[in-house]
Amino acid sequence: MYEVRFHGRGGQGAVVASRVLANAFVREGKFGSAFPMFGFERRGVPVTAYGRYDDKPILEKTQIYEPHCLIVLDPSQSKTPGVYEGLRKGGVLILNSPKEPTTKPHENLAVAGLANADKIAMEEIGMAAPNICMLGVLAAATGWIKLESILAGLEDYFEDKKLEGNRRCAERGFKEINIVRY
Amino acid sequence: MATKKGKLSKVFDYFSDQDPFAPGVSCCAGCPLELALRFMGKVLGRKDMVITGTPGCANPVLTGQNVGAWHTLTSYGTLMTSAASNATGLSRYYRKIGQDATVVCFNGDGCAADIGFQNLSGAAERNEKFIYICYDNEGYMNTGVQRSSTTPAGARTATTPVGPMRRGKPTRRKNLALLMAMHWIPYAATATLSHLEDFAEKLVKAKQKKEEGLSFIHIFCPCPTGWGVPSDIAIELCRTAVRTNYFPLWEAENGIVRITHEVKKPRPVSEYLNLVKKFSHMTPEEQQVVQEGIDFDYAFLTHLAKFRR
Amino acid sequence: MVKKEESMAAIKVITGNSAAAYGAMLCRPEVVAMYPITPQTEVVEELSRFHAEGRLEAEMVEVEGENSAMNIVTAASAAGARVFTATSSYGLVFMYDALLQTAGYRVPVVMVIANRETPGITGVSAGQQDMISTRDSGWISLVASNCQEILDSVIMAYRLAEDSEVQLPVMVNYDGFYLSFLAEKVEIPSREKVDAFLSPLKNQPPRPVLVPGKPAGFGTHGLLEGYIELRYKHFAALERAKGKFEDIDRLFGKHFGRSYGGQVDAYRTDDAEIVLVAAGSVTGTAQRVVDLQREKGVKIGLVRLRMFRPFPRERLAQVLKGKKAIGVIDRSICFGWNCGPIFMEIRALTPEIGPIPMQSFICGMANMDVSTYQIDRMVELVQSASAGNEYQEVRWISMEE
Repeated sequence: MYEVRFHGRGGQGAVVASRVLANAFVREGKFGSAFPMFGFERRGVPVTAYGRYDDKPILEKTQIYEPHCLIVLDPSQSKTPGVYEGLRKGGVLILNSPKEPTTKPHENLAVAGLANADKIAMEEIGMAAPNICMLGVLAAATGWIKLESILAGLEDYFEDKKLEGNRRCAERGFKEINIVRY
Repeated sequence: MATKKGKLSKVFDYFSDQDPFAPGVSCCAGCPLELALRFMGKVLGRKDMVITGTPGCANPVLTGQNVGAWHTLTSYGTLMTSAASNATGLSRYYRKIGQDATVVCFNGDGCAADIGFQNLSGAAERNEKFIYICYDNEGYMNTGVQRSSTTPAGARTATTPVGPMRRGKPTRRKNLALLMAMHWIPYAATATLSHLEDFAEKLVKAKQKKEEGLSFIHIFCPCPTGWGVPSDIAIELCRTAVRTNYFPLWEAENGIVRITHEVKKPRPVSEYLNLVKKFSHMTPEEQQVVQEGIDFDYAFLTHLAKFRR
Repeated sequence: MVKKEESMAAIKVITGNSAAAYGAMLCRPEVVAMYPITPQTEVVEELSRFHAEGRLEAEMVEVEGENSAMNIVTAASAAGARVFTATSSYGLVFMYDALLQTAGYRVPVVMVIANRETPGITGVSAGQQDMISTRDSGWISLVASNCQEILDSVIMAYRLAEDSEVQLPVMVNYDGFYLSFLAEKVEIPSREKVDAFLSPLKNQPPRPVLVPGKPAGFGTHGLLEGYIELRYKHFAALERAKGKFEDIDRLFGKHFGRSYGGQVDAYRTDDAEIVLVAAGSVTGTAQRVVDLQREKGVKIGLVRLRMFRPFPRERLAQVLKGKKAIGVIDRSICFGWNCGPIFMEIRALTPEIGPIPMQSFICGMANMDVSTYQIDRMVELVQSASAGNEYQEVRWISMEE
């Protein structure tokens, strides 16, 4: 099971991303369970959503304390230590940023997948909504989910131009990824 | 009441059915409410009626007891808080399945103007299709004469007594009928038991109009027991209320007001007040305040009645 | 106009609220009352959408308050309609006078509740206090623990409510936030299958309904023995609901391929020495903890309460008898008894199961998470009690972190 924590600010689409990802896993015959954050904000770190993804049924209905992966939608959050709290050994960071972090943000971080998702989103859908692009990055960085599964599930969340635009965002995130291994 | 030539008066022409109520119901002697119930039953008829009732003076008459009842109507008991919402559920479903139905709420002022006002207003705003009849005896009579929001200013009640520290109810009554008209419902009207033909016409109109939306009738319905009025002059009291403009008779279709009974030379309201014990403590000055209030209300009403699209 | 997807089962990723709306839509309610309240609002929005799309042919009433919502569906049900509404906490308690009427009138209203804290301290957060505060309303009360179960419980609720030997309203509870907003895999059954599951209801003797012009009524004044007779019949119907629910769960399993254990889902309890008891979303997390503890050799089981009213006394007594220690998880409090409400009711089984060490764990109120760490701690405490050590009867686990 992969436990993923999504960090983002309002409007960046973290909740939708967590659900689209669940949808993608389900389309592969697997399981996904996603819910928005509610409760105390710890150390001023906006956490917007949690997602668990597995090939077996997911029973837990609790918040995520030891994520395998962090999806950070806001570039400014990458410097906040609280974002990385609980990250497991071999942890993955999927970050919306054109630049690599100057220092390794957490000792357990093994892989970082980056893309300039804001720029890609502006070009493809005309809005700085980096969420779907980040899912493409996740697919490329980890191989946990096929890009095709993400693309196939987008029709449950978007229509017409937004659907096509987001498809392109995910594809570009997948292709234009910058992978850093620590 | 046959005329000299043996022809029935016009009021009887309105009856579509016999009285659905048994004799010997538990209303007080001379209670106009009983007349209102029987009259409404005869005019509207049992065939497609569902009548809802709430706790109040009409309750012992409308609600069954165990497996018996004092009438042969289809009835549904609601709480005071929910007459209109229950009527909504009934009328919506009957309409959906194509069942002919005239859903009638029959409640006192305590229910209509106070505790049940929210859902009445909601049903009116949604323009639900049923008839809501409020019998206004200006207080909670069944529980012993406590004030409601239709109790007039200055009235003595069990919760607004007269003594060194206070002079009855301090605030003016709500104009419930006008409030309902301002929901722009197809039909809102006032009626009373001294003008039965007017009342009958309004009942028939209400039944027609409920095909378009909510019909509301506000009946001035004195409580001889509670108001301190001899039980044999209840109807006379209604007539005096109309004659003094204490209770004008009008109707409004989608908010456009029409006076249905013109009072050419209104009598001073003191004629009305002097008949009723709950006002017996009033000084001439206090009666004058009431007169000014009545004059204002009537002027307001006639002003509205001049408005046409 | 049946869309293609509804002639076959569909797999979707949907929230608990959406699952509730789908469950209701598939059962074809005829009158639906809607009022928004966090965390349920999505339910009424989905139902409105289904209606606009032609998938729900019902009278939709956008009411001015929840009290009206309950009265509207109650009256429509009395007139013969199948009905539906949804609410939570503040809305539920605003309906309270109507709730009592619905149950007393013995009409088969079905309602879902996205559980949330009740007034007293302003709380827009998960908790089960609203479910607890309506225990004595005379309604049947079910609890779902995941999104699939929410949808399935709504279908079962209609089958139970409209059973001629029950004829009682049913509320389906599910945790606000933790289930209402949780999106997970749900199989949405086809219309045909749901129609077929509910169709036996049509072969029953017809229930009494209000027909205009027929001299009969609801809301009669109960006098003396008349009152007692009606109360007793209501009381007895609630008892019958237990066995009926077991049957319905089995039938559901045969028909849809999913069953949940009836009134109570006893997970790995047969050879368990210690047992946790819980209701709602926390049971999923607890089940995971049980599995992990079992791997370590701890003989532990989980009792998942699915029916809260009527209280599954006999089934619980059967499952709990002979256990060495019990821990009860409550996401609410029992004012005046210094413990959790479900704990208090389990404790009342002592005559049947003997004096077993029992602990009340109060947690998960006001959106506070019930984590695996907290549940591990509960297991530790229950184990210690089972070994004969002294124990503290009530712990507010959330505050001990």
